[in-house]
Amino acid sequence: MSSGIRVASLDDIPEGEGIAIDKSVTGTADDIALLRDEDGSVWALDDTCTHEDASLADGWVEGGYVECPLHSSKFCLKSGEVQNLPATKNACPHRVEVRDGEVYLFPNEAP
Amino acid sequence: MSVRVGRVVVVGGGVAGVSTVAALRSGGFDGELTLVDAGEFPYDRPPLSKEFLAGKKDLQQIALQPPQWYDDRAVRLVNRAVVTAVRPDLAAVELAGGGTLPADRVVLATGGHAARPPIPGGDDPRVHVLRTAEDAAELRAALVPGARVLVVGGGLIGAEVASTAVDLGCEVLLADPAPRPLAGAVGDEIAAWLHGLHARRGVTTVHAAVESFASAAGGLEVRLTGEDEARVVDVAVLGVGMVPETSLAAAAGLDVDRGIVVDEHQVTSNPAVLAVGDPARTRRDGALLPRTEHWEAARLDGERAAAAILGRTAPATSAPWFWTDRHGLHIEAVGDMASADRVVVRGLLGEPPFSAFGLRGDHVVGAVAVEDSTAVRAARRMIDRAIPVDPVPLADTAVELKKLLRR
Ligand SMILES: Cc1cc2nc3c(=O)[nH]c(=O)nc-3n(C[C@H](O)[C@H](O)[C@H](O)COP(=O)(O)OP(=O)(O)OC[C@H]3O[C@@H](n4cnc5c(N)ncnc54)[C@H](O)[C@@H]3O)c2cc1C
Ligand code: FES
Repeated sequence: MSSGIRVASLDDIPEGEGIAIDKSVTGTADDIALLRDEDGSVWALDDTCTHEDASLADGWVEGGYVECPLHSSKFCLKSGEVQNLPATKNACPHRVEVRDGEVYLFPNEAP
Repeated sequence: MSVRVGRVVVVGGGVAGVSTVAALRSGGFDGELTLVDAGEFPYDRPPLSKEFLAGKKDLQQIALQPPQWYDDRAVRLVNRAVVTAVRPDLAAVELAGGGTLPADRVVLATGGHAARPPIPGGDDPRVHVLRTAEDAAELRAALVPGARVLVVGGGLIGAEVASTAVDLGCEVLLADPAPRPLAGAVGDEIAAWLHGLHARRGVTTVHAAVESFASAAGGLEVRLTGEDEARVVDVAVLGVGMVPETSLAAAAGLDVDRGIVVDEHQVTSNPAVLAVGDPARTRRDGALLPRTEHWEAARLDGERAAAAILGRTAPATSAPWFWTDRHGLHIEAVGDMASADRVVVRGLLGEPPFSAFGLRGDHVVGAVAVEDSTAVRAARRMIDRAIPVDPVPLADTAVELKKLLRR
């Protein structure tokens, strides 16, 4: 198993918000949203909402979910599972690890 | 569950009906579940004035759920079928063509139709309305580049149609007797700015109502109030509101008052029949509330109806929210701007992203945001949690709204 890609410092992501990591860095088909819940934990999902073109990194992160900034479908931070319409497909989750205040991403590995 | 409900029939496959069946199954309902819809399959309505009308998405792409979804949940989906009567006395609904479906509970999710006010000449085939995918497909065929299009009504749907028509290269005239359509929903200042966007995109806006349509050489002649000369267009679209579909409820003897009257659990005057979505009208503390004709309200109605059928506690209520898109901008509103006694603008009004918060005393009662989804989501929580706010940091874009929520 790889040691992951260092993509950000924890301080770069305010609690309750997200940042997008470009696909040129992650090597994935889509950019990846790093989402930090209010309890400080960090999660990663494919950045583009499965409904239309919103960036989930711009979403509202709270209580284990991210709410899409366009039409408010909610996705589980951990599993990517969609909670409500209009999106119908789950978001793809990726594994994240925080070591010494640095965020490491393991693209396409299950969390 | 106190009384076991065995068979549920949901009438209407809009967002309210589909949410009802989704919430019933995710809530553990294991009885027979049938969803009856008049259309080809349940599809989503908001794209009909946006991507679908623009030709960027087809009907399959706006399906509310893929076909497999219904099978996976053992939902019997009956498409292209019309319910003609609801018979709670017989625990059944009747279908056009003579069939019946047994039902211990019926959920009316019948939506509504586009209003067609009695304007002389309004039955001309060039006068369109927009509610269904068929309406949208017919309108789209008429919105060819260069077509002269009259949009009647500058509210949510009218403005979206005007915007899409300009994108398609049409020459658009937008008529509304109100100088600032949507002022009630978004407040005067923002309404004025939003309406002004049309002119900036080349739409001609006039403050007028339509008096009549008539067929004339070279097109459809339109007479507008306050204008001496008739105008000639190729296409007209009426975006003047919707009429709730209440006929099944009325025929079943349910309480109907410009909407199907329901309690806070979506239950009608007959305990075996519930109503959700656009046609439902809630009576709370003896007073009839206005209907909320927005997408999310319909979705949440479905979740509440499912909870009621399952005998569960209803999900928490939240301030009403809607979005709309025009001229490339995403606009959202939450709560009730009309009940505000002052408005605090965050950012520069007219330079997106910006937002406006309606305050009553030191509480937020509503908000509108242009390209600023965080503002509306923060406002919603301020309203729902009744968090008092100081207008000074609220207006200051350097202060994070989440901080104000944590106070
Ligand atoms: C063009 C357009 C754009 C919109 N854009 C937005 C937007 O951007 N944001 C927003 O918040 N809201 C928007 N709305 C409003 C939103 O779409 C509605 O509030 C929502 O669709 C209501 O859902 P519903 O399930 O109550 O009704 P509907 O969506 O109307 O569904 C009702 C269904 O019931 C079926 N039906 C009715 N009677 C019978 C019967 N007797 N037997 C069988 N089937 C029956 C109908 O065929 C229909 O499929 C828009 C609406 C329109 C028309
Ligand atoms: S783009 Fe995310 S819900 Fe529509």
